[in-house]
Amino acid sequence: MTAYIIRRLLLMPLILIGVTLVIFTMIWALGPDRLLASYIKSPEALKTPDAAERLIRKYGLDEPMPVQYIKWLGNILQGDFGYSMVGKKGVLPAMLERFPHTLELTIYAIIPVILVAVWLGVISAVHQNKFIDQFIRVVALVGWSLPDFVFGLLLLMLFYSILGWFPPGMASTEFDLVMRGADWKTITSMTTFDALLNGRLDIFIDALRHIFLPVLTLAYLWWAYLLRITRSSMLEVLRKDYIRTARAKGVSERVVIKKHARKNALIPVITVAGASIIGLLGGTVFVETIFSRVGMGRFIADAASLLDYWSIIGGALFFSFIMVVGNLVVDVSYALVDPRIRLE
Amino acid sequence: MKKILLVTLTMLFLAFTAFASDPDTFVSLTIGEPETLDPIQSYDTASGEAIQNLYDNLIQYDGQSLSEFLPMISTEVPSVENGLLSEDGRVYTFPIREGVKFHTGNTLTPEDVEYSFERYILGDPSGGPHWMIIEAFTGANFASIEGLFADYAGMPYSEAVDVDRNPTSDEAKAKLISFYEEVVDPLVEVVDNTVVFTLESPFAPFMNIISHFGSWSAIVDSSKVKELGGWDGQADGWWKWHDLQVEECVLHNYDAGSGPFKLVEWDRAQQKVILERFDEYWAGPAKLKTVVIWGVDEYSTRKSIFEAGDADIVYVPAQYLDQARGLEAEGKAIVTLGYPQASITSLHFNWLVVEGSEYVGSGKLDGNGIPRDFFSDIHVRKAFTYAFDGLTFIEEVAMGQGRLVPTDLPEGFLGFDETLPLTEFDLAKAAAEFKLAWGGEVWEKGFALQLMYNTGNDARQTACEMLAYFINSLNPKFKITTLGVQWPTYLSTYQNGLLPAFVIGWQADYPDPHNFIATYYASNGVYGGPQGELYQEWARENVDELISKAIKATDNDERVALYREVQENVIEAVAGLPIYQPTGINVRAPWVEGWYPMPVRSNLYYYHLSKTN
Repeated sequence: MTAYIIRRLLLMPLILIGVTLVIFTMIWALGPDRLLASYIKSPEALKTPDAAERLIRKYGLDEPMPVQYIKWLGNILQGDFGYSMVGKKGVLPAMLERFPHTLELTIYAIIPVILVAVWLGVISAVHQNKFIDQFIRVVALVGWSLPDFVFGLLLLMLFYSILGWFPPGMASTEFDLVMRGADWKTITSMTTFDALLNGRLDIFIDALRHIFLPVLTLAYLWWAYLLRITRSSMLEVLRKDYIRTARAKGVSERVVIKKHARKNALIPVITVAGASIIGLLGGTVFVETIFSRVGMGRFIADAASLLDYWSIIGGALFFSFIMVVGNLVVDVSYALVDPRIRLE
Repeated sequence: MKKILLVTLTMLFLAFTAFASDPDTFVSLTIGEPETLDPIQSYDTASGEAIQNLYDNLIQYDGQSLSEFLPMISTEVPSVENGLLSEDGRVYTFPIREGVKFHTGNTLTPEDVEYSFERYILGDPSGGPHWMIIEAFTGANFASIEGLFADYAGMPYSEAVDVDRNPTSDEAKAKLISFYEEVVDPLVEVVDNTVVFTLESPFAPFMNIISHFGSWSAIVDSSKVKELGGWDGQADGWWKWHDLQVEECVLHNYDAGSGPFKLVEWDRAQQKVILERFDEYWAGPAKLKTVVIWGVDEYSTRKSIFEAGDADIVYVPAQYLDQARGLEAEGKAIVTLGYPQASITSLHFNWLVVEGSEYVGSGKLDGNGIPRDFFSDIHVRKAFTYAFDGLTFIEEVAMGQGRLVPTDLPEGFLGFDETLPLTEFDLAKAAAEFKLAWGGEVWEKGFALQLMYNTGNDARQTACEMLAYFINSLNPKFKITTLGVQWPTYLSTYQNGLLPAFVIGWQADYPDPHNFIATYYASNGVYGGPQGELYQEWARENVDELISKAIKATDNDERVALYREVQENVIEAVAGLPIYQPTGINVRAPWVEGWYPMPVRSNLYYYHLSKTN
């Protein structure tokens, strides 16, 4: 097991180099004229006849790709990932600034996603084809097929525009200003946790109000998926011989479900939950946009549309890293839960 | 568990008591965020907005006037009458206000003014705004410091300084130093308590360029800049600070201003700029204590925040105007419409598409493409302009928030002439022109071409689609298709002369006709190249000289006459199709006071604003 983990971790730099090399090649194939545009927000910037030529020289856009790549690798070793046009600062600090926003959403969203999905999935399977099962499946299907953009906007209209309960953003202006004050200690960069660590319950509650709708949106959209996996996995387990044996022994149905079936049914769920966490950590463009909580999703999306190439490459690195580590964690936990699985 | 849940819910409901709008804090909802806070690089509206609130300039506009000025850091506005502007219009003298404090606590001196301008001129980052200042000083002969240096030293700048910013030889170094001493330094000099600017020749828009709302001429605290590692003010080594990348400019994230507001934080993750009142502001403290400029890119979210009373002003694009009117009807907003904006959107033709363009189909007049010089025939250009329904465009696309203009010169600018003819929508005339074009071949064989727009720009997209629709309806052999691409692609294709026609806008740098006329029509203008070599030839023969005369003339009547002639020539030659001049939309809460429209201001100047309870 340990050897396996070490081997996977040793492979990681190679995977990351491969990913960046592919993206680098694709970006550099666009040629200097296309890349130049990422530095030109409006036609005004090209007012002087030599502006384009000078910009190309200044940013080395006409240098061959291998030269640029070697340079970039050298800079990375010093922690310099290039300048992010989207983040208006270095790529690494820009990502570190946004990642806590994404992490906070993930933490809050994943708990209801997993708990609710497993709970409802089990209920659904146990009451297969009864009304409650049909009802849950319909609700899940709606969540699964509803575009997050539409659902998020509906929630915003209802709970903010009409009821005024849950505002977008990270915190109300007055608390936002408090958090920028000299007395405030930024520890996690996550509003709700920092509020607690600073002993400000009022700000904590305010931050919860702001995070509630994006979490609800994400949770509803993700749990539909997880619920279906739980249900089908549970149904499969319930047909197994040992369940029949348990029932034959006269074990009560509650114990059968809780003790014998549920634990085994959760094995595939781990994989999917892992995938959900990885997906959430990658940020969610629409939710971040609608609720004005800029995180990793918007960072990558904006970078792509602006052709902000250092951010694109940095973002790709980040995603690859999350994917590799996330999948490793999933595989290991899989092995821990299911003794039949051996990691070789 | 249940108890915890109950307590939490109770607390949540207690937290739902609506907060009253704080009269000292102003929240402005906009889109995007600044690119930088350093005036040396700032060339976008969001950066300009932050900088105009953090910094002062020598002079400022008098209210809504675009040509009358008031003192600011200078205690007087130079004029020939008060003796501070020389008779020949070349030498401006600015007496510097005493006792002005920077946010750092340092006192503003005439040396700070000199330093600010010299830093801009020498720094001159590519793609930045300082071509404006260099053009003004050099009688429009040069637009970059590198061009000026090459002219002085007889060698290109890139041969004098290597990629590591070191002089290539002792001779080059001597040239660089003497260039500063002999050429740049004399442009701005401190004399006693005044700063004297000496121009090569009169330059009509000079006062506009250095006025407040122009972030490129903001006065910076030289001590602070040097302390942060900026140009040390010496002749030896100035090139180390020339053409820096945006993050290398030391004020990128700092404030070295004397303006009415100080920088609290530029939060680039939340797209917020937070400003705080500067209590020692020389003209008296602002009424607002805190300003939050918040970029919320999604319109529905912006609107809901504003509607909830959590913001004081909101950016509303024209297509959502009805919603703004709805808010006004409910008493939640005040909407001001119809004030002129200093920008133009227009379609221009490429008279000779660059070879190898993929947007001309077969490249021949065979029904499946166009020859590269398709638009060099005036009948084709005329046909295109007759086929554009400008009035419907303004009514339906711009929701009435715009006006037709005869040329690419906005209303309200010197030289704007209402008597000049507007483009006319007449499909019969369009068909007649197509029948004349290319000796009748266009009508007979048909043609195919692609009109491109940058995705996200609805106005450009609809203009292209309307043109395609009407022209294709004239003849089944006409095949115009439209194509949306991302901005980087759009920019590089039109810029390199690959597009047969392109829709593009221009936002005024300063309110002077030169800024539009030279941009769109001069052979060396920004849009001269994209209109092709044949257009440039035409411009050199018909308008270049007039444009150059007009910028050097000091007499307004003379300038108006020259610009009129330029406009008559471009109308006659159908050099372009002005689509519209957008007019402004401002949506603010009923308690906001002190707002007035100003076309050359970057969004808002919070010093003028206040909130009533």
